[in-house]
Amino acid sequence: MSMIKVENLSKSYGPAVALDGISFEVNRGEIVGFLGPNGAGKSTTMKILTGFLLPTSGSATVDGLDVVEQSLEVRRRIGYLPESTPLYTEMRVDEYLRFTAEIRGVARNKTRSAVSRVVELCGLQRVVGKNILELSKGYKQRVGLAQAMVHEPDLLVLDEPTSGLDPNQIVEVRSLIERLGEQHTVILSTHYLQEVEASCSRVIIVNLGRIVANDTRDALVASMPSGPVRACIKGPEDAILSQLAELVPTETARVVGQKNGAVDIMLDTAQTESDVEEAIAALVVKNGWGLLSMTRQDPMLEDVFRSLTTTDEKVLENA
Amino acid sequence: MREAAIVLRRELRSYFVSPIAYVFGVLFLGVQLYFATAGWEDGGQASAAAFFQLMSYLFLLFLPALTMRLWAEERKLGTLELLMTFPVKVSHLIAGKFFAAVAFLALILLLTLGVPITLATYGNLDWGPVIGAYAATILMASAYLAVGMFWSSMTRDQIVAMLLTLVTLAALFLLGFPLFLAFVTEWGIPAWFVDLLEGISPFRYFVSILRGVVDTRDIVYYLCFCGFFLYANYLVLQGRRVKG
Repeated sequence: MSMIKVENLSKSYGPAVALDGISFEVNRGEIVGFLGPNGAGKSTTMKILTGFLLPTSGSATVDGLDVVEQSLEVRRRIGYLPESTPLYTEMRVDEYLRFTAEIRGVARNKTRSAVSRVVELCGLQRVVGKNILELSKGYKQRVGLAQAMVHEPDLLVLDEPTSGLDPNQIVEVRSLIERLGEQHTVILSTHYLQEVEASCSRVIIVNLGRIVANDTRDALVASMPSGPVRACIKGPEDAILSQLAELVPTETARVVGQKNGAVDIMLDTAQTESDVEEAIAALVVKNGWGLLSMTRQDPMLEDVFRSLTTTDEKVLENA
Repeated sequence: MREAAIVLRRELRSYFVSPIAYVFGVLFLGVQLYFATAGWEDGGQASAAAFFQLMSYLFLLFLPALTMRLWAEERKLGTLELLMTFPVKVSHLIAGKFFAAVAFLALILLLTLGVPITLATYGNLDWGPVIGAYAATILMASAYLAVGMFWSSMTRDQIVAMLLTLVTLAALFLLGFPLFLAFVTEWGIPAWFVDLLEGISPFRYFVSILRGVVDTRDIVYYLCFCGFFLYANYLVLQGRRVKG
């Protein structure tokens, strides 16, 4: 059964449309990455799922419960880390975690064990008696994650869990999220593409309040036209270029560098056939040149993201 | 109710870990004791009424500073968003915060018990009115706190919340001020309207309870007054779910 089911969800702030009829599902046990430029509607979606905001129209269910009609029940099942990790900084870490455990309905006799479980899981042992105010940003983020899962929720909603952290902290938090994903369903938003590549089983890309892609990382990348071919050929430049022109349209081939009598050529080919490489190799053999290297650059999630979130904007501007 | 109690406990603790509790407590007690003792030198009566009357004026100045942060700070820090996604009804959040503020105030009031005790030592103090006066003071303070909390929910700027509370309370104070009412009557405003204005002001009821006459109507008034502003507070917070 699906953990989250969103149907035709819309949200407007006055005349500004933040979400424009999005639909998606998240299955139990998945880690889904929500990707999109700033203002795309990632946070708005999460705020609706967690019961902070009411949708303008459409519906969303968590574990089969309506987020508007059965808000309290839904909120009991969710652990939420809002963007920018708001915490009561005047409290001690253990005090704060005990408070969040209690208010989320953990039984009084179980709060102690619930708190020590997340303290261990998030590596907070060293700072547990400190004021949250004194903690580094990385530790604050871990406290934020700890409060989100102190009640062992079915669903974790994490809004930009690694923004503002240094590279080491990012790696730590990411591995923490992966560990969480073993027991929980996780939906996280980010604009770090590596984050999605590293930890998510599925990617939902949103732009201007709409979903523009929803698939596994590999499937999204496979849907992209393949990248340019780069070949380093040893031989006379003029001859190489004129011969290549017979293979591919001339405007796609350009010389990017020269070293030791070899020409470094980039072929911006839209042709996805793999025989472009083969043809080049044959050409080199025929003319007795030397082929020093040839690679085809695979498209990355970044390319998918850019093509989906920038072209759309242009389409809208032109419309 | 369990959730309201959890919120109350957290709030109450936050008063005492932040310097505001001590600054507020010391300042309030200091000013109050100074005024309370200043009048005795020329053989004043051992009357508690003047002391409590004074307290109601001081609250006017001090309580807006106590309530200004209640929601405004949470909004500014973003903790309100997290608070409103906990499985707790908004009404319980409000109840927790409100009664924490009332409890904090009651604790500060306990510290002023020294004044009536001193009075009782040096003169013949009638304890009945004193107890009534404490009850009246708590009711009055609750009304102020409800107004302050409401304005705090309207803005994320604490100073704005404090000023708006101050203005509202000052206006309500004026409505119950005999000189002002006499002035308005001279302007030819109908008597029933003047009565209405006076009826809205919490001060008349305060004075009435202070006299030692506990009338259920006075208590009902305060309950309605607090209820009105707490409900407005509820509407504002629910409105946040629409506006974001």
